[in-house]
Amino acid sequence: MTVTGAEAAEVREELRDVARSLLAGDPAPSAKRLASAGWTGLEVPEELGGAGVTFAETAVICEELGRAAAVSSFLGAAVLGAGTLLELSPSAARDDLLAAVAAGDATPVAVLPGEAGFVPSAASATHLLVVEPGGVTVAVPGDAGVSVEALPVIDETSRLARVSVSGASGGPVLPFAGDPSAVIGRLRDRAAVAVACDSLGAAEAMLETTVAYVKTREQFGRAVGSFQAVQHACADMLVALRVSRELVSAAVTAVAGGAPDAWVRAAMAKSHACAAAVDVAGQAMQLHGGIGYTWESGVHVYLKRALLNRSLFGSPAGHRQRLATRY
Amino acid sequence: MTDLEEYRQSVRRWCADHVPPDWRARQTGVTGAGFAQFQQWWFAELRSAGWAVPHWPAEWGGGLSVAEQEILYSELAAADAPRLVLQFVAIHHAAATLLAAGTPEQRRRHLPAILDGEVWCQGFSEPGAGSDLASLRTTALRDGGAYIADGQKLWASGAAHADWCLLLARTDPAAPKRKGISYFLLDMKTPGVDVRPVRNAVGESHFCEIFLAGARIPAENLIGPENAGWQVAQQTLGAERGLTMLELAERLGHAGFRWLVASCREAGLLDDSRVTDTLAGFETEIEGLRGLCRSQVAGTSAGPADASVVKLYYSELLQRMTDFGVTVTGVPGFTALAKPASSGWESGIWPLDFIGSWEWTIPGGTSEIQRTIIAERGLGLPRGA
Ligand SMILES: Cc1cc2nc3c(=O)[nH]c(=O)nc-3n(C[C@H](O)[C@H](O)[C@H](O)COP(=O)(O)OP(=O)(O)OC[C@H]3O[C@@H](n4cnc5c(N)ncnc54)[C@H](O)[C@@H]3O)c2cc1C
Repeated sequence: MTVTGAEAAEVREELRDVARSLLAGDPAPSAKRLASAGWTGLEVPEELGGAGVTFAETAVICEELGRAAAVSSFLGAAVLGAGTLLELSPSAARDDLLAAVAAGDATPVAVLPGEAGFVPSAASATHLLVVEPGGVTVAVPGDAGVSVEALPVIDETSRLARVSVSGASGGPVLPFAGDPSAVIGRLRDRAAVAVACDSLGAAEAMLETTVAYVKTREQFGRAVGSFQAVQHACADMLVALRVSRELVSAAVTAVAGGAPDAWVRAAMAKSHACAAAVDVAGQAMQLHGGIGYTWESGVHVYLKRALLNRSLFGSPAGHRQRLATRY
Repeated sequence: MTDLEEYRQSVRRWCADHVPPDWRARQTGVTGAGFAQFQQWWFAELRSAGWAVPHWPAEWGGGLSVAEQEILYSELAAADAPRLVLQFVAIHHAAATLLAAGTPEQRRRHLPAILDGEVWCQGFSEPGAGSDLASLRTTALRDGGAYIADGQKLWASGAAHADWCLLLARTDPAAPKRKGISYFLLDMKTPGVDVRPVRNAVGESHFCEIFLAGARIPAENLIGPENAGWQVAQQTLGAERGLTMLELAERLGHAGFRWLVASCREAGLLDDSRVTDTLAGFETEIEGLRGLCRSQVAGTSAGPADASVVKLYYSELLQRMTDFGVTVTGVPGFTALAKPASSGWESGIWPLDFIGSWEWTIPGGTSEIQRTIIAERGLGLPRGA
């Protein structure tokens, strides 16, 4: 699909609207549902049943999943699984798997180097794409030597599992189309930016909820949102999110376009957006008062998600250390 | 090469030829007159390149596209060129006011004169009217073909060098606060106008008190309708914010961040991970700020309180960065008693830069006022008591 900038932006807005209403009705969409909405195949080439668009569209879904605090295999299977397959040299094995992802028949997840202890959505995965400098080994859960252990997670909306694949158990090694270290770098950037999008969406939801609440909650005979301390806290939330949005947009564009400095944009977006989201969700809890601390209110769901996101695929300090290697 | 890339190269070449390499040293410790002379020279240089007023309409000598202005500011910042300080009010506020509310005659009288170096100041604030500007008490009462102004203005930046002043004064003392104010163009040479510099916290005398005692303002120097001054001021105050902020963000991103990294390197702190963590955090925030400014200028993210978001974020980031500069340079940083005039707010003399950062958190609506605007206009929260 070849589209101009303005058209692409319009398509993304439509995608966002559709995603928002779908997730409002079903905050835990199955892999089949994700596929029938066309999301798992967004970046899969059209001839394999996908939409052939870019990471910029994938990023829209990530953001909306965060906004809805949705439970899904999207990060594991579409962002990282399909993302990894797309970095491989074309082959029948690769193409079959990509087509199956687009159709919702397969949910392969990527096991990035050093990340096997906490792999998103691995427990429900049909395939494990073990990423190593030499290429990708495709392992199937249940086979000899392959173990996948679902982990308990404080953030109940996230699914993490410990994966181990011992030597001989895997299938053939599929080679990367490009330089392996660059590919692995790109996959890490993808992961980081996808999580940043999730945090941005989650934090925007928290600001929106908080603003709506303080407009109606009354104390001392007036809406608490008319108290300056509350107003200024909300203003700070908005400012932090506006900055996050700029950084995330720049990172999404860079990753989607394969820019050489995409890792810089990714590190900035990940470190800022994920830290800001924790602050915003924490402030949301504070400004809701006692209600905000209840299980029922759901604010804790966002706070926990934001907290986990902040640590996933590189802490803010870790990303800043990478940036600092340029000074 | 695209046209824009060619344009960037031409600005870069011009900067290499025209920015005096030693201007910082020459501008350190100068007198007010030395500063003003240098500013006029630099303004004329920019003017002959066609870049003194890039944001003005083409018919008055501007007409650069937004993309070209972005490039211009970014290259000037990268070349660490002097800033236009003296002409700031003239080319931004005065011009915006003349273009929005001036008569053809007023525009013809002043816009070309500004290009020739006419200096303006802004006489809005008073001892009793700061954040609550509408409570101002200076009066200008009609007397035949003129208005007679009496009162006191405070904090007028650059007034000691100014030829003209944008003046808000009460023309109908009986009307409700915002209804009785008019907007005037005041010739600073008018008898009854007395300017007294006030020394600021950095030690400079850039802002002034202006005393008005029976100063006659000809009626043709009223701008906009009588008693509509508040509306005119509201309309034009934020008019140039976007590009001004873009310039400042570029400066913070180029020279500002470079000085900060250099200070850390000189202090041998670049292998301290706490220091590099802070630096990378600032770099990230600056990138976010630049993005905000670009979106605002391009109009792609126009929220009702965008100008406030940018002003608040810039000023507090500047304050945190300069504070960090102070901690990095430590005691030795305190022995420099002057920073170069004509520099930005991040000259690398960190203790003075840090003190000077309140020049951004206080004027033009304090940070507290900005947060209230963001909450009420940006987020729609109910008005405070
Ligand atoms: C460097 C500098 C240059 C300036 N240049 C000019 C100029 O060229 N022309 C000009 O006209 N003026 C100028 N000013 C004046 C400037 O605009 C005012 O100082 C500013 O608007 C604040 O007013 P104030 O000083 O009276 O403080 P006040 O309004 O008295 O504020 C004192 C404190 O109270 C807080 N406060 C006040 N009202 C509220 C509220 N409603 N809610 C919460 N907090 C509140 C403020 O935030 C501040 O912290 C300049 C000031 C400075 C420092």
